[in-house]
Amino acid sequence: MSVRFENVSFRYPGSTAGVFDIDLEIATGELLAVIGPSGSGKSTLLKLLAGFAVPDAGRILVDGRDVTDLEPHERALGVVFQSYALFPHMSLWRNVAYPLKVRGTPKAERRQRALDALARVGLAEFAERAPTSLSGGQQQRVALARALVFSPRALLLDEPLSALDAALRHGMRDEILRVQRGAGIATLHVTHDQEEALSMGDRVAVMHAGRLIQVAAPRELYDRPASRTVAAFVGHANLWDGEVRAPGRVVTRLGELACDTAGFEPGGRTCVLVRPEQVVPLAELPGAARPNVFYGRISEDRFLGAVRRCDLEVGSGLVRIETNIRTAIAAVSIPPEAIRLLPPDPTALHTGSLS
Amino acid sequence: MTRTPGTSRKSGRAIPLAGRGVRLAFALPAAVIFAVFFLLPLLSVVREAADDHGAAFGRVLADPVFWRGVRGSLVLGTLAPAFSVLVGFLVALNLARLSERARAVALFAISLPLTFSGLVIAYGFILVFGRSGFVTLLLAKLGADPAVVGGFIFTPMGLGLAYSYYLIPRVVLVMLPVLTNFDRAQIAAARSLGANSFTAHLDILVPQVMPALITAFCLTAAVAIGAYGTALALVGTQVNILPLVLYSKISDAGSDFPAAAAISLLLMGLCCAVVGAAELIRARRAA
Amino acid sequence: MLATILYLLFLLAPIALLALGSVGETWTNTLLPSGFTGRWYAEVAADPSFQRAFLTSLKVVAATCILDMLIAVPLAYAIHASARRGVQAAARVVTLLPVATPELVLGFGFILVFSSDWLPWLGSIWLLIAAHVVVTLPYLLNILLSDMGHLRLDELERVAATLGAPFSSRFLDIVLPLIRHSLLAGLITVSAISIGEFQISNLIAGFLSRTYPITLLQAFYGATGFACAATIVLLVLAVLASAGGALTARAARG
Repeated sequence: MSVRFENVSFRYPGSTAGVFDIDLEIATGELLAVIGPSGSGKSTLLKLLAGFAVPDAGRILVDGRDVTDLEPHERALGVVFQSYALFPHMSLWRNVAYPLKVRGTPKAERRQRALDALARVGLAEFAERAPTSLSGGQQQRVALARALVFSPRALLLDEPLSALDAALRHGMRDEILRVQRGAGIATLHVTHDQEEALSMGDRVAVMHAGRLIQVAAPRELYDRPASRTVAAFVGHANLWDGEVRAPGRVVTRLGELACDTAGFEPGGRTCVLVRPEQVVPLAELPGAARPNVFYGRISEDRFLGAVRRCDLEVGSGLVRIETNIRTAIAAVSIPPEAIRLLPPDPTALHTGSLS
Repeated sequence: MTRTPGTSRKSGRAIPLAGRGVRLAFALPAAVIFAVFFLLPLLSVVREAADDHGAAFGRVLADPVFWRGVRGSLVLGTLAPAFSVLVGFLVALNLARLSERARAVALFAISLPLTFSGLVIAYGFILVFGRSGFVTLLLAKLGADPAVVGGFIFTPMGLGLAYSYYLIPRVVLVMLPVLTNFDRAQIAAARSLGANSFTAHLDILVPQVMPALITAFCLTAAVAIGAYGTALALVGTQVNILPLVLYSKISDAGSDFPAAAAISLLLMGLCCAVVGAAELIRARRAA
Repeated sequence: MLATILYLLFLLAPIALLALGSVGETWTNTLLPSGFTGRWYAEVAADPSFQRAFLTSLKVVAATCILDMLIAVPLAYAIHASARRGVQAAARVVTLLPVATPELVLGFGFILVFSSDWLPWLGSIWLLIAAHVVVTLPYLLNILLSDMGHLRLDELERVAATLGAPFSSRFLDIVLPLIRHSLLAGLITVSAISIGEFQISNLIAGFLSRTYPITLLQAFYGATGFACAATIVLLVLAVLASAGGALTARAARG
């Protein structure tokens, strides 16, 4: 029940968009979330796996079997579409029983299995209803039941929660996870919502300009992003260009920072990442100068309930802070262990935008 | 925004679900019918017209009857659509403000004439406006000359009035979606800025729906220029309009078929030009 | 509002007078007919040429509907399934043809082609049916295509494919059931157009294959009551068809 992309490339004719050199494996029972900005190729990945597009190069394996040249209906993959795409002329149980019908399952059996599948998503009593009479969340659950009823070899979710309102979305995340765990099959989940990806994915793949730029467990991805692009895309981030002055010392717009510089040569450029919630706000200036303490002026101050988000202007630099203290903030301290150095932004080399 | 696989416009190698073979097979019956019963007849009209190396066109262009027909058709093809667009626009404007239910009922009544045979309309108009028609006799009681009033329906302008019976519904069908989608808050905004109701509509609404008005004009003009059924039933071949000139040429035994073919091509060219203009405007609006 | 009311009067006046005239005993140079009678309808019903024409029209309408359905459904599907811009543009041209090609010109073309020794079909009922098919097909195609887009048929078919349905199952289980309402509504429109069609039939119908509207034209030169009754028959058929079409379309949306 695994899925593998081997060196898969696909380019839309007459454009430079597509996906390139995709190497990816989804293990049995694993949920891999794919995120990326729109146009990054994440939906193309799903299209290729579902069989709606044929790769220009490479191959796609499901359970070790090459499915690259199979028609969509021969692949036995369960797909849940963004719009659910329930058949409007069939009752709910007929919708769910449809994959069994085309496989020649006798009517009594497929009705029973469809009813069981609907019961698993808590909709048994709606079996005879028409899809249009359901709410978005209910339609979503029917679509999920329909995609899983024929024991597909993998589950493909195409932005399954984006059409739901925020309140429903959280409940549906758990619901999808529960059903996916129950089925125990490899799952490809395409989404543009990073919170959804981090909370649902066993691993998260980040796509950018048609390429996979990092595939990692959610915590790893957040704490140790491979590049500035990943860091900027996943969660909020302070990202400062800098230069390694000496071992343990980096100079940025803010001033000098003390941190671990292992893996970076003195004199080399780097990009400094600090998550806003790891910045420690200080109500008053410390008596004596301390390393990694900067004072400045609050330029933006937004109260969001559980979190307060503010920007501190330090010289020509800016420190983003997420905190729950409500008092005035005059300075920040950046713990050395909160600082992570990333490879320099390639564009910064040319523009030389370092202060 | 949909992000569903396959709905993307640029999906070139994204394979269509029905294979090429299926699609070709499915289009085949239509292609055969189209070729034998549409292209072949039109091509033979072209061949007939070119039969004597274009001399037919010369004969047609030298014929005063043809030019009288052209003049009649241009008058009819301008006045009938203009009147229809004016009335249809006002009616659509009115319908756009009705509730969804009332609009559906009114729309049903208004689109009825689209399915009426041109003959029904012709005879109905004879009863209303003919020499001893209802309106004619009514006006006669008020002192109007029944010969003048009753004769009106048999002139190109009177014909235009009859045509507008089934042209107005077409205008309404084109205009109604445009007008229902028009954000009336713009009119309110213009009024609040000091425009009166009439100037607000003229300055704000009319320019925005102008493309649709022109489309409606062109579509109805093409119908008015090309149709002959109603005219034949109303006036026989006595009025000079191009289709009736052509009809009498076709139906007279032993007549000049190459000339008839030449007139056919000119008539069709006129209709295509008008429809093409409407299509160009539609495409530009969509872009 | 005034414009709409005046327009509705304009719309209804001919119909009302036709209806009155069809049941009026006599109507010559008076504002309205006098007397009440059903004899005009009886005369129309007893008239052998009207009987034959009515029967011919029914045959033509039925055959046109069946052929239209067999041709337009696969064609609409093929056009819808093809995402190519060229195909879509060609479809647009086809749907514009009935407006851009006067039926008089097409009918003349029919006379030229089908009076030849090679294809001597002029005057046969089958040629009449073929002409009706060509004239009505674009209307049906238009209705089917807009419904297919509205239903997002391509998306539903894609889901069906992922659920394991091969092309034949998808077409029979998804496509056909979903378009049945618009197909019915479209066929009713086709019937309405076909039954009232005069312009091309008048040129190509044989003496024995005259349709109802052609025979009706002859009646205009006779008694007013008779002409009114014969016209009302055609009118009622068209109104019934329109109402049927509107109700079907409503049911499809609901």
